Amino acid sequence: MLNSRAGKSALIAFLLAVMASGCSSMGVEPWERDVLAKEEMQLTTDPVEAGIDDHIYFSKEASSGGRGFGGGGCGCN
Amino acid sequence: MSKQNSRSIAASLATAACSLLGTSTISPVQAQEEPDWDFNTALLYYGESDNRVQDFSLNVLARRIYVDDRILSLGLTVDALTGATPSGALPFDGPQTFTRPSGKATYTTAPNEIPLDDSFLDTRVALTAGWQQPLARLYSINAGVSASKEYDYVHLGANAGLARDFNKRNTTLSLGVAYSQDSLNPEGGAPVPLSAMLDVGDLSNRMGDQDKDVVDLVLGLTQVVSRDLLFQFNYSLSQSSGYLTDPFKFLSLVDPVTGDPVSHTPAPGERGPSHENRFESRPDERTKHSVYGQAKYYMSGKVLDLSYRYMTDDWEIDSHTLEARYRWPFGDRSYLEPHVRWYTQTAADFYRISLVDGAPPLEFASADYRLGEFDAITLGMKYGWTTRSDNEMSVRLEYYMQDGSAPSDQIIGNQVGRELYPDLDAIIAQFSYRF
Repeated sequence: MLNSRAGKSALIAFLLAVMASGCSSMGVEPWERDVLAKEEMQLTTDPVEAGIDDHIYFSKEASSGGRGFGGGGCGCN
Repeated sequence: MSKQNSRSIAASLATAACSLLGTSTISPVQAQEEPDWDFNTALLYYGESDNRVQDFSLNVLARRIYVDDRILSLGLTVDALTGATPSGALPFDGPQTFTRPSGKATYTTAPNEIPLDDSFLDTRVALTAGWQQPLARLYSINAGVSASKEYDYVHLGANAGLARDFNKRNTTLSLGVAYSQDSLNPEGGAPVPLSAMLDVGDLSNRMGDQDKDVVDLVLGLTQVVSRDLLFQFNYSLSQSSGYLTDPFKFLSLVDPVTGDPVSHTPAPGERGPSHENRFESRPDERTKHSVYGQAKYYMSGKVLDLSYRYMTDDWEIDSHTLEARYRWPFGDRSYLEPHVRWYTQTAADFYRISLVDGAPPLEFASADYRLGEFDAITLGMKYGWTTRSDNEMSVRLEYYMQDGSAPSDQIIGNQVGRELYPDLDAIIAQFSYRF
């Protein structure tokens, strides 16, 4: 079944449906956000440090981006 | 509202603005009373061993937070760069003389040393400006511009993004796009790919300034799982086109039997390279796909931050990046945060340690170590504390190490046993102050 395009599409649709229904059952009520609101629970706690790291690794490795844009921006050596 | 609370909101909002448009974060829903400036500053020292690249950097991110969660952010970075960087040429048991990238002088590398180009001295100034605001009840939009200038490089960029909350704001879907136009203006002009390194003063193989464009697209999903766990998933597509070659990198032309660089004799009365070298050549298109996942987990005060990225591109480079941070508070006002990062990449399909004299010509070739196969590890520690006036300070010290190897099927004759791949060791030291 997985060899056919229709089969793959059906599988992807099924997985997306499972993910979507899974997501809708996850989460908290608005009054339960005390921990999530903490600074240390933000996805990027220090945007300046994240920018510095992105710039270093962009300059020294062949990969960039992922968390955000990979972009250009320097003729780094 | 306490200053700490206002910080949390600022942090969450700025995260969305500054950690790029595709990565909207789940921000707490609270009202702001009045506009407030928030300054996030950092001084950085990045230093590589063996007199390679050194960077002193000043970073400032100023954010003004208005009522209704509208945020203006302005960023400034100034880098002072010095040091030497591997040119791509192979080491060999005699001295090697090279023409500088400007074409105006020469430099010489000692026997058995990896050739480093030490003509690297630059100041880089980068500016960013961004705006973010809610739109209707469940949407937020953001837009930004960026520009940077080096002696021989100019970057201009623009980005925009849209995010929508679902499921009591526990799920956020986001889409971000960015466009970047960069201009390379190397002194003397960019060399013709695969052309020979010429004698001093001969610029006949230069073709002037070059451009490249990068378009990025990031699709993001942020999901709150429980009171103390959230996830982020991103898919990124990045398309680069134009002059993607590094105008300063070249390859040794080597003898097919001995593997030693082929000699070159400068014209009578001229200075020039002692051996034959060819400027590198890369394809003028590159498409990268990345998937990125991050989890943040709160464990009675301690926070675990785990992330993973997989990248693949049409230069046949695949990479994996695993990163972990563990924030460990002690006392009311300070914390320690160990950090570990592991990275591995495969080589680009046109990565060559050298060009072989007499072999069929190649369309693309680069000996840039950053396109080779290597692993890298970062180990770091950060100590942060809150001052009596509720400002935040932190210091971090990290060690970054790259360990690569030359492809064994490309090693010829006398190259066996030589150190052909320029491994890298670097220190990252940073002081941050937020007020």
